[in-house]
Amino acid sequence: MRAKDMKIDLKELEKEKEKNFKERLKFISYWVKFIKEHPDEEWSRQQNIIINSQLKQERKIEVKNK
Amino acid sequence: MEYSTKDKTIFLNRELNELDRFVIDFTSLLERYVVVSGYVSILFGRSRATEDIDLLIPKMNIKEFESVWKKIIDNGFECLNTEKIANAFRLLEEHAIRFAKKGKPIPNIEFKIIKNDIDSYSYENKIKAVINKKELFISPIEMQIAYKLFLGSEKDLEDAKHLYELFKDKINKEELSSLIKKLNVENRFNAIK
Repeated sequence: MRAKDMKIDLKELEKEKEKNFKERLKFISYWVKFIKEHPDEEWSRQQNIIINSQLKQERKIEVKNK
Repeated sequence: MEYSTKDKTIFLNRELNELDRFVIDFTSLLERYVVVSGYVSILFGRSRATEDIDLLIPKMNIKEFESVWKKIIDNGFECLNTEKIANAFRLLEEHAIRFAKKGKPIPNIEFKIIKNDIDSYSYENKIKAVINKKELFISPIEMQIAYKLFLGSEKDLEDAKHLYELFKDKINKEELSSLIKKLNVENRFNAIK
């Protein structure tokens, strides 16, 4: 399929975007509850998996673009 | 995590990540600064990274700047905009300048002079974060929430929600409400709380 053949329902896409955002906000409430109920060492260990891997990925992209 | 509002200090015993180490290394070279924006949410557990950390410093003359510059460069950082102090000082009047560990542009510090009342508020009301006995000055949580609501992208609103949910029992609600009114973001606040 090419771009000119695509049929896109923008209203539906907007609805989907809004739904995703609301779901992410719900996850934030869940994650904050987890932070409050667990020692700093525990939640930070999980958070660090994301942070360290994102930084590693961004550096890879930067090297590729050079 | 423990927030002593009386001492304006938050104590954290978290496992440090690469971003934390970078920020602590850099800020340990400075006497007067405040860390603002995304990193503040990340420090308190937001599940995302950032490639730049925003840092505000009071206006300084060239002599003061030279001394700060020398300390930064001598400790293994480089300025990504220019190698020359005079250029950096000139740039700083209008823009942010970026510092990173030599040869490692990510992550980097966006180094900015305090320019408006929002910046001054963050600096004058800064709070201390003690992370595994290492100290860091950060913007007050109330301003962080209000300003993130003002910025308004999905990422910013999520940052605001994270901080609000985490600190809602500790923050100064009256002050938060004033800041939200000043920045005209009541609707966004209602959407995230």
